[in-house]
Amino acid sequence: MKKILLLIITAVFCAGASLHAQERTVSGQVTDAGDGMPIPGVNVVETGTSNGTITDIDGRFTLSVGANATLAFSYIGYVKQDVAVGTRTSINVSLAPDLTQLSEVVVVGYGTQERKEITSAVASISEENFNRGNVTDPGQLIQGKVAGLSIVRPGGDPNAGFSIRLRGLSTFGANTQPLIVLDGVVGASLDNVDPNDIETIDILKDASAAAIYGTRGSSGVILVTTKSGKMGVPTSSLEYNGFVTFDQVANRMQVLNAEQYVANGGTDFGSQTDWFEELTRPAIGHTHNLAMSGSSQNTSYRVSLNYRDNQGVVEGVDNQRINTRLSVNHRALDGKLRLSVNAAFNNRNQNAINNEAFRYATIYNPTAPVFEPEGPSRYGGFFQRDLFDFFNPVALAQQQSFQQERKSLLTSFRADYDILDNLVIAVSYSQDRNTGMNAGYWSKFDPARGFGGGGIANRTAYNNLNELMEATLNWSFEPMDKLDATLLVGGAVQRNHNDEFGVEVRQFLFDDLGFDGLQFGAIREGANTFAFSNRLKDVLNSGFARLNLNYDNTYFFSASARYEEYSGFGPENRGGFFPAASFGVDITQLADLGPFDNLKFRASFGVTGNLPPNPLLGIARFGTGNRIDLDGDPLTRNDIFVEPRQLNDPNPTLQWETKTEYNIGFDYSVFNGRITGSMDYYTRNIDNLLFGVSLPAGAPNPFSADAPNNVAGFAWANIGELQNAGFEFLANVNGLQFGQINWTPSLNFTIYQRTQLKTLQVGDLGFSEIRLSTPGSPGQNNNQIIRNREGENIGNMYGPELAGIDENGLYVFRGADGTLSGDPGSPEDWGVIGNGLPTWEFGFNNTFQYKNWDLNFFIRGTFGHDLYNSYRGFYENRDPASNTWNSVVTSLTNPNIVSTPTFSDFYVEDASFVRFDNASIGYNFNVLNSKVFSRVRAYGAVQNLWTITNYTGVDPEVRYTDTVLEDGFQTGLAPGLERRSTFFTVTQLTFGVNASFK
Amino acid sequence: MMMNYSKRVVGLIILLGWVASCDVEQELFSDLRQETVLTSDDPDVIAVLAASAYSPIVGTWGGHNSLWSLHEISSDEMAITQKGADWEDGGQWIRVHRHQYLPTEEAVLNGWNYCYSAIGTVNNLLVTFGENEFVKAELEALRALIYWWLLDAYGNVPIITEETTSSSPPTNTRQEVFNFVESSLVNNLDLLSTDLTFGRVNFYVAQTILAKLYLNAEVYTGTPRWQDAVDACQEVIDGGLYSLEPVFFSNFATRNNGSMENIFVLNYDEDNAQGFNLGQMTLHYASQQTYGLQEQPWNGYSSLEDFYNSFDENDVRINSFLEGQQFALDGSILIDDSAEPADPDGPPVNFTPFITELTPNALRQEGVRVGKFEFAIGAGANLSNSFPIFRYADVLLMKAEALWRMNNGDTEALALVNEIRSRANMPGFDNLTAARLLAERGREFFAEGHRRTDLIRFGRFNDAWWGKPNASSTTKNIFPIPDFQIQVNTNLQQNDGY
Repeated sequence: MKKILLLIITAVFCAGASLHAQERTVSGQVTDAGDGMPIPGVNVVETGTSNGTITDIDGRFTLSVGANATLAFSYIGYVKQDVAVGTRTSINVSLAPDLTQLSEVVVVGYGTQERKEITSAVASISEENFNRGNVTDPGQLIQGKVAGLSIVRPGGDPNAGFSIRLRGLSTFGANTQPLIVLDGVVGASLDNVDPNDIETIDILKDASAAAIYGTRGSSGVILVTTKSGKMGVPTSSLEYNGFVTFDQVANRMQVLNAEQYVANGGTDFGSQTDWFEELTRPAIGHTHNLAMSGSSQNTSYRVSLNYRDNQGVVEGVDNQRINTRLSVNHRALDGKLRLSVNAAFNNRNQNAINNEAFRYATIYNPTAPVFEPEGPSRYGGFFQRDLFDFFNPVALAQQQSFQQERKSLLTSFRADYDILDNLVIAVSYSQDRNTGMNAGYWSKFDPARGFGGGGIANRTAYNNLNELMEATLNWSFEPMDKLDATLLVGGAVQRNHNDEFGVEVRQFLFDDLGFDGLQFGAIREGANTFAFSNRLKDVLNSGFARLNLNYDNTYFFSASARYEEYSGFGPENRGGFFPAASFGVDITQLADLGPFDNLKFRASFGVTGNLPPNPLLGIARFGTGNRIDLDGDPLTRNDIFVEPRQLNDPNPTLQWETKTEYNIGFDYSVFNGRITGSMDYYTRNIDNLLFGVSLPAGAPNPFSADAPNNVAGFAWANIGELQNAGFEFLANVNGLQFGQINWTPSLNFTIYQRTQLKTLQVGDLGFSEIRLSTPGSPGQNNNQIIRNREGENIGNMYGPELAGIDENGLYVFRGADGTLSGDPGSPEDWGVIGNGLPTWEFGFNNTFQYKNWDLNFFIRGTFGHDLYNSYRGFYENRDPASNTWNSVVTSLTNPNIVSTPTFSDFYVEDASFVRFDNASIGYNFNVLNSKVFSRVRAYGAVQNLWTITNYTGVDPEVRYTDTVLEDGFQTGLAPGLERRSTFFTVTQLTFGVNASFK
Repeated sequence: MMMNYSKRVVGLIILLGWVASCDVEQELFSDLRQETVLTSDDPDVIAVLAASAYSPIVGTWGGHNSLWSLHEISSDEMAITQKGADWEDGGQWIRVHRHQYLPTEEAVLNGWNYCYSAIGTVNNLLVTFGENEFVKAELEALRALIYWWLLDAYGNVPIITEETTSSSPPTNTRQEVFNFVESSLVNNLDLLSTDLTFGRVNFYVAQTILAKLYLNAEVYTGTPRWQDAVDACQEVIDGGLYSLEPVFFSNFATRNNGSMENIFVLNYDEDNAQGFNLGQMTLHYASQQTYGLQEQPWNGYSSLEDFYNSFDENDVRINSFLEGQQFALDGSILIDDSAEPADPDGPPVNFTPFITELTPNALRQEGVRVGKFEFAIGAGANLSNSFPIFRYADVLLMKAEALWRMNNGDTEALALVNEIRSRANMPGFDNLTAARLLAERGREFFAEGHRRTDLIRFGRFNDAWWGKPNASSTTKNIFPIPDFQIQVNTNLQQNDGY
């Protein structure tokens, strides 16, 4: 790192060359009027002739011209400029970006369309508008940038993934996250691409746009396009981007110090320890990205290498990633045949701790020392006491270790062939392969788990393969005057293979080998051990078609249909049909609307589906039950068998979940493109909702007479109906000039109508509510605080209402009939006391340019959601338990309360917040005369600088899912709990440099 | 032009043909299909399948928050005290102890699902083994045992057999369920094994279930069947297979498989058949050091002081409780550094019979614990002790009670009770009273899941007792039908009073 920096700095100072003008020709450089950067590939044509050239990688051109020549400079995305040559031999031109953006190309399913032709709700974010700083995940690039798209990662765990939610909750099932299409590979993992390699991200928001992806489009579709070499212009480029990031804890709970704790009646162990200090550290990360690309007339390539090394603010939490990406495009047969190959290899290693360490760092006794004062103890020298839920956080972080290694290889091949000028056939094949190994070790000195088992170690390995074969025909034709039509027809076969196996053993003599020495584990059966393997494969076949019509650039129409068959459904219901249609009219083509230079009205309708969480739900399966010793004699071992046990109650009639969505919207552009944007209103109805339903225990299977009687008492079924709606608004102001300062603000906001549960019935089956999420131990184990009820919003929290505190410091609750008492009352009498889903969100992005400086900052806000502050709910009161656990102190803390903590509205807080999410400031060095550099930019960035909120917990971010609920298919129904294992939030400072070499 | 169109058409046909050619049949790799399992003729498979009928009833009986918990906590022999925040758990255990249980209680649902999941499994096996009259008889008798549990706990429940076709079977009356249990047993007696079986239903297990059924017949149906109860007990006694173990606690040892007293057990095993978690449920957190347990216990279940006091100090069965100072394996005194300031014993762990209050602030060390089952050194959360459902001692006491019901001066009844007392090192009674019989059963069967049924039969279940300040309605003598089941089966009827 140091060496590279040194090299760059030296090069900046040494570089210097001047241009030697030539006689009888005109030469010059074309730059961007906005940022002054050279533009390669600009067409320079002497008007009225065929004489012309294109600019090179530095934006330079040289052209012999006749007398009185006028040169026309044109390039996609810029306003065309004509310049009379006169007597000049040198002409430098600044091209202004075309603000009307009408020529913007938007990636849609199976192709691209011009922005003006789009008739559904599609958002497009390109590189220059991505979030800045230490962005480690592609989703983070567009966090807050798209109305209706929520991307969150509560807490500051660098290993955690982002939850992505488009237009609110629209399904219960596994696929609450949008479908990812990476360079055409449907269902790819975002982990396979480094944020540095992404050029644009397009989001298909409404069902008419997503319907071409059929069954998997219900939660929206995110199309990621990676950078590739630009063909046709001989270019070569080498770019380096590197940065260093410093993380520190931004927010955590405040607690009593040792003296206050003892004064409060806490058990005094005689020491003074700041457990936060002991657990955390300042973390450093660094990232390097090297990209080279080049092109000739018929071939282009791009290769990039990304290295990322990030630490968490706790020792033992870190990750390293290497991502190599190769993209080659080639043209043959006079350009009629176009071939492309993409390959990306991603290697990720990460280490993690038990995140409960954050809880214990908060509540562990501040008078306890880190180590036993009297030398080694049975817990490896650490101070520990045999109390309930009482573990030394430093020991916990060190004595449990978790490692994940993941390798992914994404390869795709595609060929396009022009059968006729207007008829293109394309075939593609891709493989997205993820293999990995997870490992965990619980030291024999770890009282939380490992001690009892004598040390426990495991490893699990997995190998997933997603194979996709696709073919499309694309026919462009003009059925009548002024009417342009494009017809797409295609088919696809997708196969998913998942394999995994794992082993856990226990009882180690030595503590040193951990999960690298499983053979040292003496006990391999019974509790705290396992051995398993699992294999899964499913098949999805599809055929699809789409017709796009454009009449005179005024009326636009699009219709699509997809038919699919999925192996994971019941034999009678394998097929699904997903139609969509949308219509748009550019009103400015019909009438003069004053300042409007574009006002397109859009209306669309579409049906999308959702797959079940598992392809085996329609089949009665027998897995493993108890082990049976046939003769009951443990000495004879040849008669011990694992009994087959019925695992599930099958539903062979299982079918698609369908979402029907209507969207109306406007795209607008006023004052010659100064202000552009869009607004959308959508309403969606989801029926045949896929969800697990309880069955009458022991009774005959309700779906099939051939199936065995209900044993699990639970089956997946198409049950119930959901509804939600929302309004989205986007405005971009382009290039406001204040002297030499150029300001580009962009604002988006979304108003959500929370998802409502219409019914949960199918035939005789169903239920009126689903209760989920108990806060946990101690004492809040059986109280499920979230109830999803028919006719109500998803995620309503139910609980007693705290009216106040009596003179003895005890809770006084207000009963259903208004009476006050110390009894929280029966759970059946409680009312709604909160909801974890937001009602509106905004994102406000600002870019400033002043000479060589650029400044960008981004603020986002989320409003209307509540969070159960678990720390307060368990550890705030001065009850008898506060002699064991430290007490949290917040602005809501009433030190007089001595009641046993009980869940109530007192602990459910409005978590609306505004966050200064990220900001960056950069300086572009003047390297016009450098022999080495074509561009050098140095920058600094900060993420999560401040947050305005009344929420008193760790992170007011929306919790779309409950991290503790193990059933991944219900977790989306339990929003709004801030669990005690939340990783402390962090503020990140980043310093970096971008350099382009000649 | 024709040429162009034909090219397009050919292209399309190739495309669609290729898509259609792919098979979408779902494959299964790591689990077995119904056909593979239920139609095998491999003798090992058949033997394992027949034995697997018992796995569901091993299930959650010995764990927290299911049927056993309901029986014990709703009785006067146990409670789960709320220790500050710990064990508040939504108030379920306070409500159960006070007979205020709701149809939405988790334990009420878990107990129901425990029984019916087992019935579903047995019915499926009956379809497979319907041709084999001996296996069929055993399975039907096993199913009768489960229906007896349902009859006792929930009263009015649907009778589901392998011939039921409705997927929403309606509620049957308690009388109908009683008749079904009785006929399922009586009709199969001739086909059941009269050999000693271990954890399987044989002729004598069936007779014991019948004895239970008849002894409680007045509660279940309003009509007493005392003589039938005596006869059923007599069948077991006459069989001569079973006898009282000289050492009471050998019935509850980690290796209690050799007990000649245990007529029917749930054959728990820490590795092979998990689910018996009593150590976790009752022991103090620090007791992990007393037994070198693999996991820290939960400090939940303890006995009531009045019940503890019903044991004479010379009664060997008083060792069914853990009382007093507790020690680690190395002999050092167990320490609870978080002992409440109000605790007179301070940090040294001392299980006292006295408990301050049921809720909210019982002290952590209060309450004597369930020590009847051996906790093996180094045990995990799952114990290997088999759980006796029926013991020979129960047969003797049932016979005694039935005789006494018919004739309060019956001398054989007195002799049988005194036989039990004698093994416990207690002097014999000179006569029997209801209170003596109930108390003797209490001492003998503490923590074995019989107390609630006995209290109901003796008319004492609705009394007030410690932690339950008010008498309860007799509608609480059966639990509510779980709300969740009524939601998914509208043909179910809720019991009166809920």
